[in-house]
Amino acid sequence: MAIEIQGLHKSFGRVHALRGLDLEAPVGQVTGFLGPNGSGKTTTIRVLLGLLRSDAGTVRLLGGDPWADAVRLHRDIAYVPGDVTLWPNLTGGETIDILCRLSVPLEPERKRTMLDRFDLDPTKKARTYSKGNRQKVALVAALASRAPLLLLDEPTSGLDPIMEAAFQESIREVKAEGRSVLLSSHIFTEVESLADRVVIIRDGETVESGTLAELRHLTRTQVTAVLDAGADTLASLPGVHDLATGDGRTSFAVDDDALATVLAEVARLRPRSLVANPPSLEDLFLRHYGDELAALEGGGRG
Amino acid sequence: MVRRNRVRLVVWFASLVGLFAYVADYFGSVFTTQAALDDFAAISDNPGIKALTGLAAAPDTLGGAVWTKIWMTLAVSLALGIVFLVTRNGRADEELGRTELLRSRMLGSHAQAVATWIVLAVLAVAIGLAVALVSMVAGLDPDDAGTTGSWVVGASLAGVGLVAIGVGALVGQFTATSRGANGLGSIVILGFYMLRMIGDLGDGALTWASPFGWGEEMAPWGANRWWPFGLMLALTAVLLAAAWLIEERRDHGAGLLPDRAGSSGAPARYASPLGLALRLQRGPIVGWTIAVVLSALMFGSVANQMSDLLDSAGGNVAAMLQGAGVDALVALLCSMIALLVTVFAVQSATQLRADEASDILEPQLAGAVSRTRWVLMRLLIPAVGALALLAIGGGLLGVSYGSTIGDPSQALRLAGATLAYWPAVMVIVGLAVALFGYLPRIAIALSWAVIGALWMIMILGDALNLPGWALNLMPFSATPTLPAEGMDWTPLVVMTAVALALVGAGLERFARRDIQPA
Ligand SMILES: Nc1ncnc2c1ncn2[C@@H]1O[C@H](COP(=O)(O)OP(=O)(O)O)[C@@H](O)[C@H]1O
Ligand SMILES: [Mg+2]
Repeated sequence: MAIEIQGLHKSFGRVHALRGLDLEAPVGQVTGFLGPNGSGKTTTIRVLLGLLRSDAGTVRLLGGDPWADAVRLHRDIAYVPGDVTLWPNLTGGETIDILCRLSVPLEPERKRTMLDRFDLDPTKKARTYSKGNRQKVALVAALASRAPLLLLDEPTSGLDPIMEAAFQESIREVKAEGRSVLLSSHIFTEVESLADRVVIIRDGETVESGTLAELRHLTRTQVTAVLDAGADTLASLPGVHDLATGDGRTSFAVDDDALATVLAEVARLRPRSLVANPPSLEDLFLRHYGDELAALEGGGRG
Repeated sequence: MVRRNRVRLVVWFASLVGLFAYVADYFGSVFTTQAALDDFAAISDNPGIKALTGLAAAPDTLGGAVWTKIWMTLAVSLALGIVFLVTRNGRADEELGRTELLRSRMLGSHAQAVATWIVLAVLAVAIGLAVALVSMVAGLDPDDAGTTGSWVVGASLAGVGLVAIGVGALVGQFTATSRGANGLGSIVILGFYMLRMIGDLGDGALTWASPFGWGEEMAPWGANRWWPFGLMLALTAVLLAAAWLIEERRDHGAGLLPDRAGSSGAPARYASPLGLALRLQRGPIVGWTIAVVLSALMFGSVANQMSDLLDSAGGNVAAMLQGAGVDALVALLCSMIALLVTVFAVQSATQLRADEASDILEPQLAGAVSRTRWVLMRLLIPAVGALALLAIGGGLLGVSYGSTIGDPSQALRLAGATLAYWPAVMVIVGLAVALFGYLPRIAIALSWAVIGALWMIMILGDALNLPGWALNLMPFSATPTLPAEGMDWTPLVVMTAVALALVGAGLERFARRDIQPA
């Protein structure tokens, strides 16, 4: 295991940010780390980097203790923060060299490749960069080395779709070299295309973890169609859930593996309009954990 | 603008007006007879006071005594405070992209700047009015003279504050970072202070080259002149107009000097905390070196003038200077160089917290460097830098002073005199490190408050009613004032130990605590 966390607790004053979080990231795999905003992803990563001290629980990172062995461990880690701050007066290229060399040897060849791939001008002062460009600087710095473990905190939140593709390509290369990645995100579909395993947290607790195949039931597409007739027949199709009609609209959720057959059926009904959206993480949570949470909170109050 | 800064505005207002009220009240209770005032005026009439605070136009009135004690301190504090506030609401916001939002809402490109100027102008005028009122209530005006003196003293402070708005606005256009703007602004204010200092010690010509000098020349309770206030208003208008024009011409986010394409890679030494810090603090290091060199040369010329004066006047003047003569003045100048160096050292030491607050510490500590090593390497800059600047400042003061009195040994003698302040400087750096460890969120503000307090104690001294032993505990007072006094190693050794203990305590705490971004 590259990362093993059991029962991790961390409080900031009265805010109990992590409440017994569990997480495992196997060596050589991409582990998706999913949770809504404020659920504790950044806090977990800061504990992994020895920037925060855990209150309780065990944390092992590359076989060491992230607090006590920080200096040794950091020689093997590349990190991309969620909110990238750079030195305003240094250029992007200088910053990349510094950030990379602070922990691992820089590989100039990789740096050049990544600069091209992410289309970043390294001679500009960092203060002139947009959020997306600052994120690119941190990404290139992390990817310009051969660090065995990459800790990425929502690394694509400022990137456009083309750069998102460049990012995915890079992560696949990292994986092909047998290196490990922890990729935090609050968007399921982003993780879906890269991750081997996924850990989902909410309010500082792990609510789901496993391989993508195991979590397939989470990935339902939300479909809304305007149909003249025949909506009822859809309800009985395998893989269709939560069908509701109103205002002439029919909406339901479809399991990913049933999507093709269900959409063919919808098409047969000649819809006047059809919208299909991948589920947001918040939707997933509301659908899958809403009842449990309501029960939990009700119990807590009672 | 008001809402985001209301605490700061209130603190600046209350502390400046409060200080004036305190001194006015205290002096009112101490100087109950004209004889006492005459004595105070006679004691104040020496080069040291003239250099440090200027001498009141009517030093033998109660208002004049208060002026001598506190006006310059208030004026300099107000000017620095306003420059920082202008930066905070202009350059710093721009750096963080906060203004982009406002600008895009069709507020017009100047709206925010103008709002800041107006609020700060109100602050300056309010402080002036409050000081005038306090002065009247405290009875600083002589019985038969009406309240003109009170109004003039209030206006002179308000005028200085207004000029500072202009200075802040203009330096913000020349630099692209808030740190740069604050640094440049402080140097301009310091320059104004030095100009009037040299003017006040010499023939007075240079006093007219400084807005502080204009404030002095309004001469409350003396000539009660109003027209220098006009000069201040005019300068304010010119500075603001220049800032306005430049802002119109430059790109948002950029400084006046266009960004050239820089290097696409960094040398390997930047990957060490010291190498990186040296690169990042290059501007401040060069700036402070220049400031120390210029001050030392100016101070040298001041000491020369004084020694000329003593030579031509013979023994009487020396006796008037209470026997200490030029050595007392030279010792004072050495301590002022040391204070300048302290500001450099503290500004460098507070970068520890600045890095943490801005989140830029995180990627550094995510590298293969321990917290202890990171702090210690960063502290080499204030420690070694202070040593070098003290030696340079004292040495140059000695060279300049020694060359006229034909005594080359002054260079070494005065270098030694300023170097004696190194332990005191390090105590304050140690305090900044301890604050960084234990109270990170308020460490920077408290570190500067310590400098402010040192300055206050230097100026106010006895008026604070502090017991003698407490005064002697202050790092600067504990340092032997060479060359006026003899050398005493004990306090230096003790202070070095205290500095080490403070750094050790701060380090130990920092190594155990969470990283806490702002
Ligand atoms: N330094 C801090 N002080 C106080 N509360 C914090 C601090 N850091 C994080 N939190 C709180 O902890 C919770 C988890 O935050 P975070 O780890 O940043 O979530 P995420 O990265 O998943 O969005 C949030 O409620 C946040 O407000
Ligand atoms: Mg986060």
